[in-house]
Parts: sequence; structure tokens; C-alpha cells
Amino acid sequence: MRIQRKPSRRRPRSITLNLASMIDVTFLLLMYFMVTMVLAQPEDRLSPSLQTRADSAAGPAADFQPQIVEVLLVDGTPAYRLGTEIFRSKRELLAALHHLYMPAGLFVKVSDGVPVGFAAAAIQAARDAGFEQVTYVPDE
Amino acid sequence: MIDVVFLLIIFFMTTARFARLTRAEIDLPIEKGEQYEAPDEAGLIINITREGAIIVSDRTVDLRRLEEIVHQEIRRSPDRPPRQLKMLIRADRDADSARLNQVVTMLRSLGVGSARLATQVP
Repeated sequence: MRIQRKPSRRRPRSITLNLASMIDVTFLLLMYFMVTMVLAQPEDRLSPSLQTRADSAAGPAADFQPQIVEVLLVDGTPAYRLGTEIFRSKRELLAALHHLYMPAGLFVKVSDGVPVGFAAAAIQAARDAGFEQVTYVPDE
Repeated sequence: MIDVVFLLIIFFMTTARFARLTRAEIDLPIEKGEQYEAPDEAGLIINITREGAIIVSDRTVDLRRLEEIVHQEIRRSPDRPPRQLKMLIRADRDADSARLNQVVTMLRSLGVGSARLATQVP
């Protein structure tokens, strides 16, 4: 008598990869980078404001007397000087700049000893007033 | 889901490294800036700390070394005149302008036509 083997009912083995631990590692990595990430403050720039060649930013009207805002220390505190007038705040400076002739451009001369923040404020005030040509003049 | 998580990891890794290399921890002047919609090329980034130290690519350098770096930057793009070089100065708002003036004077002596002052958007 011939004994016939029954066909195996077992399903063919399928190879599976357990990804549970990998997901854990991935999440841990994600947590690590999120925690250690330094949140950067949004930055902008005063792009044409540090034009370094004095002759390049005089504007089309070279015949005009240069308009100069000086950022300097007056009685030990930073201030802005426009002509003979002294301004203590950026707002006062901005109001005065509105009366100037815009196409002639503006020079911002910054003295040593003044914090950089005040120099930036003067440049920003010039830009806000509508000056397209703003020249940074270092105190030499 | 895993794809998204991996993408997030890659994002955090790249941004963290880039920020560390170019941006020193500096309290920038709080001004709104030019507010251009399309940010232009950053170029060489010069950091000036509150104490007056100059940091370029995560390294503290003196003025002479900075001059050499700017020289290299000029030589790297011979087809572009120095006048068109992009420089970004990230100076601490409380730093003495004397250091900034030294840097600007040096850039001018090398023929660099313009530099930009980074600000922190309020």
C-alpha cells in the first residue's frame, strides 16, 4: 500500500522585519534634535545702508551739499546730530529727516564709542524717511 | 509616517548645523530692516560680538586674518568685481561702533563696495 503524503497545510514562511524598535529610535532622534535645536530669531538686513565707498552713494545730485547725520556721544550718551540740531531719539531724527531732500542721499557718520544699535537706528530712520542712497561713513 | 519623521530629522540636522556655522549668538540691533521679500545671497558673514571679537565661520579672528579671508573671497570669484561682493555684518547692538568702523574701513580699502548690517526683526 502506498501511503500518500498529505500536502502540507502550512503556509509558506514569509520574512517579516520588525520595525518597532527602529521607530522608537527614530522618534528618540527626532526628540533629541527638536530639544537641542536653537530657535533662531527672524533676521532682516539694512542692505544698501553700509555702502562703503563715499563717492558711490552721493546720489545723482552731486552738486548738493552732503546731508550728514552724525551718530555720536553727547555728554556721554548717544545722540544724533543733523546740522546744528541734536536729537536724542530715533523718532525725533525721523521727523527731521522727512524735511530733507531725498534724491541727494544721506551720509550716516558713526563715531567710535557709540553702540552699534544707535548706528543701525540712524540707518533705519533714513530708510524709513525714504532715502534710497544711505552711506555709512566710519569715523577714521 | 516614518517618511515624515525622517524628513523632520533631516531638516533639524541640517538647519542646526548650518545655524551653528554661520550665526554666532549675537543680540542684533532691533530694527525692521529693508523687509525685502526675496532674501538675496548671504555671502561672507562677519560676526562682531559685544566685546568686539570678530567671528567668521565659528572662529574668532583678528582684523588682519579677516582681511585675508576677504582677500580669499575676492579671489574666489575673479569674474565679479570686489565692489559687488556680498558681505553681511552681524554686529551686537551693544558693541562699540569702533570695531564696526574698523571692519568697514578695511572692507573699503579692499575695494568692497557695500556691506549689509543684519538686524533682528522686532
